[in-house]
Amino acid sequence: MRKLVYILILFISGCTKSIDFQLPEVEQIIVVEATVENGLPPRVVLTSSQGYFDPIDSNILNEIFIHDAEITLNDGINNFTLQEIEFNGIYLYTSLDFSAMGQLGKTYSINIDVNDKNIQASAKIPQSLILDSLWFEKYEAYDSLGFIGTKFTDPDTLGNCYRWFAQRINTYKYNYPPPFDNVKGTIKDIRPLAPIGSSTDDKLFNGLSFEFAFPRGEDGNFEGPDDEGIEEGFFKTGDTILIKSTTTTYPVYLYVRAMENAAVSNGGIFGSSGNLPYNVQGDGIGIFYGYGVSYDTLICE
Amino acid sequence: MSIKSSILYLLISSISFSQEHILSGYIKDGNTGEALIGASVFIESESKGTSTNVYGFYSINLKSGNCDVKFSYIGYKDIIKTIKLENHKRLNVELIESEDLLEEMIVNSKQSDENTTSTQMGKVELSMDKIKTIPAFMGEVDILKTIQFLPGVSSGGEGNTGFYVRGGGPDQNLILLDEATVYNASHLFGFFSVFNADAIKNVSLIKGGMPSNYGGRLSSVLDITMKDGNYKSIQADGGIGAIASRLTLQGPIKEDTASYIISGRRTYIDVLTAPFVADTSAFKGSGYFFYDLTAKLNWRLSDKDRLYLSSYFGRDVFTFNNENLGFNFSVPWGNATASLRWNHLFNDKLFVNSSAVFTDYNFAFEGGSNDFNFRLSSGVRDYNIKQDYTYYHSSLHNVKFGWNYTLHRFIPSSLSANSGDVSFGDESVVKIFGNEYAIYLLDDWDVNEKLKVNLGFRLSMYQHMGPFTRYYKNPNNGTTDSTRTYSSFETIKTYFGPEPRLSARYLLADNSSLKMGFSHNYQYIHLASISSVSLPTDLWFPSTEIVKPQVGTQYSIGYFKNFFDNKYEASVELYYKDLNNLIEYKENSFPEDNFINNVDNQLTFGNGYSYGAEFFIKKRLGDFNGWVGYTYSKTMRKFNEIDNGEWFPAKYDRRNDLSIVSQYQINKRVNIGAVFVFATGNSLSLPESRWFSLEENRIITVWSKRNQYRLDPYHRLDISVTVDSNPYRTITNNETNETEKVKKKFTSSWNFSVYNLYNRANPYFIFFDASGDPLQGTAEFGASQVSLFPILPSITWNFSF
Repeated sequence: MRKLVYILILFISGCTKSIDFQLPEVEQIIVVEATVENGLPPRVVLTSSQGYFDPIDSNILNEIFIHDAEITLNDGINNFTLQEIEFNGIYLYTSLDFSAMGQLGKTYSINIDVNDKNIQASAKIPQSLILDSLWFEKYEAYDSLGFIGTKFTDPDTLGNCYRWFAQRINTYKYNYPPPFDNVKGTIKDIRPLAPIGSSTDDKLFNGLSFEFAFPRGEDGNFEGPDDEGIEEGFFKTGDTILIKSTTTTYPVYLYVRAMENAAVSNGGIFGSSGNLPYNVQGDGIGIFYGYGVSYDTLICE
Repeated sequence: MSIKSSILYLLISSISFSQEHILSGYIKDGNTGEALIGASVFIESESKGTSTNVYGFYSINLKSGNCDVKFSYIGYKDIIKTIKLENHKRLNVELIESEDLLEEMIVNSKQSDENTTSTQMGKVELSMDKIKTIPAFMGEVDILKTIQFLPGVSSGGEGNTGFYVRGGGPDQNLILLDEATVYNASHLFGFFSVFNADAIKNVSLIKGGMPSNYGGRLSSVLDITMKDGNYKSIQADGGIGAIASRLTLQGPIKEDTASYIISGRRTYIDVLTAPFVADTSAFKGSGYFFYDLTAKLNWRLSDKDRLYLSSYFGRDVFTFNNENLGFNFSVPWGNATASLRWNHLFNDKLFVNSSAVFTDYNFAFEGGSNDFNFRLSSGVRDYNIKQDYTYYHSSLHNVKFGWNYTLHRFIPSSLSANSGDVSFGDESVVKIFGNEYAIYLLDDWDVNEKLKVNLGFRLSMYQHMGPFTRYYKNPNNGTTDSTRTYSSFETIKTYFGPEPRLSARYLLADNSSLKMGFSHNYQYIHLASISSVSLPTDLWFPSTEIVKPQVGTQYSIGYFKNFFDNKYEASVELYYKDLNNLIEYKENSFPEDNFINNVDNQLTFGNGYSYGAEFFIKKRLGDFNGWVGYTYSKTMRKFNEIDNGEWFPAKYDRRNDLSIVSQYQINKRVNIGAVFVFATGNSLSLPESRWFSLEENRIITVWSKRNQYRLDPYHRLDISVTVDSNPYRTITNNETNETEKVKKKFTSSWNFSVYNLYNRANPYFIFFDASGDPLQGTAEFGASQVSLFPILPSITWNFSF
């Protein structure tokens, strides 16, 4: 519906102009992004918010991370103290204790103390899902472009939630117009990417076995070489794709759905200019993801 | 006392009142036979008067003997008849249009001093002929946009037919087309109203002090009467405009006994653009159009019985096709109404109208790509029967009473989808049934020469009926903890609404009066809107055991004065309105959440209030006429689950709202019109801060509290020029060699309009954009304002023969 109305407005729109707002200074908020998934160590990123129109420069990474937090992860039995590590300028808290690695079926909770503030959250890693089959579904108008077709069977218990990611692990075969004129030979996606609409619950297909086609996602706000133009949203013959299909929890599904919706609507009249349904409690905002992950590989032919 | 015995009592009592005699009858247009609504009947010797009702009927008690009765209607020649009253008398009158029209303005008072003498506050009648001469958006004459120029009525947004009355929501306006409720009165996402001006006879808006014969809404009544059709001869009217054309045919089935009118309109953006879309284009097959058809039949069965059958059918169809994306959808939506009405005169004092009304509104969004297809739909359907009695008891009392029953059927949302051979969601079509009942009584009572009161009481009742399944949801995982199923016709919840209404007028010296109004209303249906503008996706939803009926109480007081022999009218009205049990979607609700769930589980409940002062001054007559309306108002809302229950400005809170409407008749054929509007900018929420999600590589916005900021003010100037063809041709009599003017059968007019003359970029909405890669320090954040309509000239050619 939103898309429809935007198209309509393009038809009749008179003009669009940039405007300035003088917003009052607002207090910085502590933001938590925590993730547990089976087979990987836990990770927690602590950042602080900025004023919406505050300028960003290359120094941004030194400004947003919150250091020296005391973070404890509990897996229902054991407590693990997370350590702050730095990787490529990004600070995150994790545990290299093998037994802190995510396990299917477990519920995890975190407790964060920083700057006299306290935040808690919990997340579950649901049992993962094995896809029945996968294929490259060429789009009829183009012989080399297409989506990923998949067939899967939803368990006959209501309340299952899913999120889909895919990563092209092959390299670009040629360059694109500037600024992408030297991408040849680089890996196409540096991490698994979720298309808009990546998450769903099963209220409409509980217990059913069916086929679905996923388009290719973009890396958030970052526009890649093939994210504009004819290749946008498509996979391509020759791509090798790592598919990360996950199960998740209802609060994560609600969060992802709202976050993706906000990304599409940009707060226009058709967006609900409301804050996201965060699942952390206490003196901050944020999300604690729990994913039950299974991986597949597909070569597009 | 049962209804039957009440009627019997009234029949007997009306016969027994024999000291006075009753003069009654119908007033019609002499050329077309069309009933005239609000025509005046005045007996100077007794200083008494009345006016015709919506069917053109009048009744008045007079003393025995001779008297002169003046019949008048704006734009028509007065007729004075001397009558001798010895018994009750029936007198039907036909008035002839005046060649020298009094230039009464668009907003039309029935009698010259009705502004000060009636008990009704905040009621406005619109004259269709004159609406056509004021500037119209894209040349399409629109009654819903015209009423937005009145004080206390705010626009729903740029070019939008949605309207808000005294701080009430768009769902709180009762829009009636020949008594059928119209649920969504707009085409093209609100830019055009569904009412084809060619088929409309009369429009009446009540924005305060609603009389008790109206109910079911809190804020206003917009009562639209369709033309009956020409009883005398066949007539065609039409217009060719920039975006749409229309044609109306009307004529007698049997002269002076039965008539018909049929009117159609269609836009042709799709037809005009189709040749420019190449057959190979990926967008081939995309387009938009709307059309509507209005038809009415009338029979005068006897002097005491009349039958009316009216209907409306309109659809918007938007189709989008993109072969490159492999995606297509179509969005059809629209209204259908039908009303069958029977007027019966029991005697000269008791008039009854019995109606059976059907109304249907539905919306669908269907589309798909490859093997995946879906259909989302919602709708509301009403079956309504009612009777409205008018009892002209004496010259001091005019009593109305009646009853009303409506069966509502709502489909809040249904979704079905299939992927290949597998179907989903077929079982999720939810229908909700409700019975709405009302009885009412009102008396328009002349207490003495100065004091007149309109005292009314309405008792309404609503029942939420089965079949119905209540879902009790688990907030943690979204699954259903339990359900409760109600069988067909099982009463799930009953609400009663006692609705007292009172308005009073006290005449002061110097052609002025003081008026007050009090009304307490119940509304059993609600509109839940996800977006911040009115869209056809908004859901109509009834009261349930969770959703209580909306309750509104309005207090108003006003001072009314006429100047210079009623050439000028002025008024100041103050109001305070209290609203309870309002609904909003909870934050982050989505339409798909309505499946395997109850819509009301997504709602949050709250209250609101609005107060304001409305100033209005109008020059009624003369070549130059028009009005200035200014409103200061404040409209606030509070919901439990929004900002922890803090008060916030409603999205249509307009502190200042000014409209200036003027017309100048340069000569008999050329009329120019101008409209200027100014309004405080809409309230809105803004992003106050942001954070960067490393997991999603996205900027996430943190919004302010609800509606804490304002868009820029809205203002605009429109102008129009209407040039009529010469309605006469000159013929020479061969025998006498004298020339005389004969009225042409074919007449036409050109209307040139310019919307937004000084090209003001009014804000329609703001969007926020984050681009670049924050990790590289290249991200940029901006706000952009979208304005819809720049200066827009349009031209329309209207004809009649």
